[in-house]
Amino acid sequence: MDENILEVKNLNMHYETISGDVAAVKDITFHVKKGESFGLVGESGCGKTSVAMSLVQLQADNAKISSGSITLDGQELIGLSENELRSVRWDGISIVFQGAMNAWNPVIKIGEQIREAIREHYPNNTKLQNIEKIKELFEMVGLSETIIDRFPHELSGGMKQRAVIALALSCNPKLVIADEPTTALDVVIQDQILNEIKKVQDLLGLSLIYISHDIAVIAEMTERMAVMYAGRIVESGPTKDIFANPRHSYTRALLESTPSVVGDKVKLNSLDGEPPSLIDEEFGCSFSPRCSNPTENCKSGKSEMGLIEVAEDHFADKCCVECG
Amino acid sequence: MAKYLINRALQMFLVFFIFLTSSYLLFNAMPGNAFQSLLLNPNLPPDAYEKTLALYGLDKPLFERLQLYIINFFKGDFGYSYIYFPKSPVELIAERLPRTLMLFSIVNIFAFYTGFLVGKILAWRRGSKSETWITITSVFSYTVFYPWFALLMLYFFGLKLGWLPIGKFLYPEKWYDAPFDSDVIFVNMIWFTVIITLVQFIAYVLTRNIESISIRRNLRFTSFVLILIGSYFYWGTGEALVRRPYAADIAYHMILPVFTVTLLAFAGTALLTRTTMMEVLKEDYILTARAKGLSQKRIRDRHAARTALLPVVTSFIFTIVTIIDGSVLTEQIFSWPGMGQLILQAVLREDIPVAMATFSFLGIFALVAHFLADISYAYLDPRIRIKSQG
Ligand SMILES: Nc1ncnc2c1ncn2[C@@H]1O[C@H](COP(=O)(O)OP(=O)(O)O)[C@@H](O)[C@H]1O
Ligand SMILES: [Mg+2]
Repeated sequence: MDENILEVKNLNMHYETISGDVAAVKDITFHVKKGESFGLVGESGCGKTSVAMSLVQLQADNAKISSGSITLDGQELIGLSENELRSVRWDGISIVFQGAMNAWNPVIKIGEQIREAIREHYPNNTKLQNIEKIKELFEMVGLSETIIDRFPHELSGGMKQRAVIALALSCNPKLVIADEPTTALDVVIQDQILNEIKKVQDLLGLSLIYISHDIAVIAEMTERMAVMYAGRIVESGPTKDIFANPRHSYTRALLESTPSVVGDKVKLNSLDGEPPSLIDEEFGCSFSPRCSNPTENCKSGKSEMGLIEVAEDHFADKCCVECG
Repeated sequence: MAKYLINRALQMFLVFFIFLTSSYLLFNAMPGNAFQSLLLNPNLPPDAYEKTLALYGLDKPLFERLQLYIINFFKGDFGYSYIYFPKSPVELIAERLPRTLMLFSIVNIFAFYTGFLVGKILAWRRGSKSETWITITSVFSYTVFYPWFALLMLYFFGLKLGWLPIGKFLYPEKWYDAPFDSDVIFVNMIWFTVIITLVQFIAYVLTRNIESISIRRNLRFTSFVLILIGSYFYWGTGEALVRRPYAADIAYHMILPVFTVTLLAFAGTALLTRTTMMEVLKEDYILTARAKGLSQKRIRDRHAARTALLPVVTSFIFTIVTIIDGSVLTEQIFSWPGMGQLILQAVLREDIPVAMATFSFLGIFALVAHFLADISYAYLDPRIRIKSQG
């Protein structure tokens, strides 16, 4: 059970723009174990979606992966041709995009849009088998069978999102990525969808990467997690350990700016300032301008960033670890 | 739905009535009349001109004539042509219409198909060298002065190279002992085209629900081959075999006008398709389709082009409406004796019954085409389908 379904090593990705290169993913390393739910958290703009897109190799046209490796179940994904990738997509990794409300083509029925994915990866299935499969999936995510023959605009936001989850599961993928799947929904529905994902994950023993800007959701949803800041992972490890003993000051700041997970009423400290521009050259610890107690060393920019192990399987950026 | 249809029918009737009345008044507002040239004839008995006018009822006051015309119109009586006297406008239209329809339906099918295909590929290959060149060509063909270009084509292919006939829709010397009229052949050719299109369409619909994409593609291809074989046998036996050389003659005369007008007409569709398709390609569902591992072709055709089709179809149906009025210019340049020439002649020579009948025909055609555009739009876009039901 300890086998890794996904390993990402020293991944570097930037966007080429007229005003310069945007380094959105810097030297990222993490792994996801089979059947595990892994969380990726950070403020918006810190590169979470860029990581997700790189994993399925669907990054924007101006994105360049300069180095690193992504292996899914032992298979290297970087450098695969478009055709080879087609068989990895959905069958290997499926993804629920941020803003998945618009994931449905408005002129094709929901059932047909799921069926075409199954058809692509299981070409020998009959239509009946595929429809049976969709019915099963719909039952699992709490949708009625009749949705199969509906068009997207006939569904509410929550229903569309449930259907997206069914779609993501339709080809029995090895890994599912959910990129802020609830951000566009209202609060009540958000809760339902979260529960649905959790239920499905337990039921199927799914390997899941859950991406959110909300650390409270990550606490609820995941077993291991990584905190991203300005394109880097600044802390990673078992979710429990990180919540019990956050070692990076950005993680602490995130925790303090969130209503307590345990339920005590505490005064929230909002996180001041803005994340740095990703175009500029990195100069020492990128979080130091917002850090609550930076040392001279941090500000001088002498220390390079890099993770060190602080406890078993718990890593944090060495700058913060050294400051204490 | 029934309520919607009745509403639409009433609307259409009202619009048509206004159209009919104002056309009649406009034609009668033109100075002179069809028989004025009689006055130039010095041998004419003095009262002959007045008698002729009385014979056609042109001596009555305008309002009375209008009333009479409208009543007769709805009785199905369109009068007689002033120029081709014993013939009624309906006879004239029946003779000319097939020629125009044949030419322009083929042009429009070609233009729409190539335009959509080119636009689709342009959007898909954005940024490539071929995109730049095809776009420049399309913009040129979209904006070029049409008569100049058509004459250039005539000069080049007809005169300089001598490959294709200049003008007319047949070689009269081939036809003088023909056992039938050219219209018979035209009607025959139209039916033939309609039927093979229909057969292919039915084959398409029947195979729609087949799950395996490769089987579906093969079946469609088979049906296409069968149609080819069927056509071969059709033109090779019985009555059609006799007609074949004549049909071939007409087809040969159609090449140049079809080619020229298609070249000019495809650009509009291509550029519109390119623009809408580029918008569609930015949509999230295209990303989903790619993430699902679908083939490039399927993403392009099923997801992007299918959605981009909506505005293109509407604008296309609007251009269909202009087929017949657009034919005035084309038929004049290529000496194609169809509806366009009939209209031009009727208007210039004030043959009011024929002018009115052809204009009414255009009006009805336009109204019906718009109505069909609405319906097809609703069919293509499920979001509208729902609304019009409720
Ligand atoms: N196609 C692109 N071209 C240039 N910059 C981009 C592009 N996509 C994202 N970015 C930039 O990359 C950074 C990371 O974005 P993203 O991965 O979407 O972050 P997150 O998902 O954490 O909000 C942001 O600064 C964003 O502006
Ligand atoms: Mg994002």
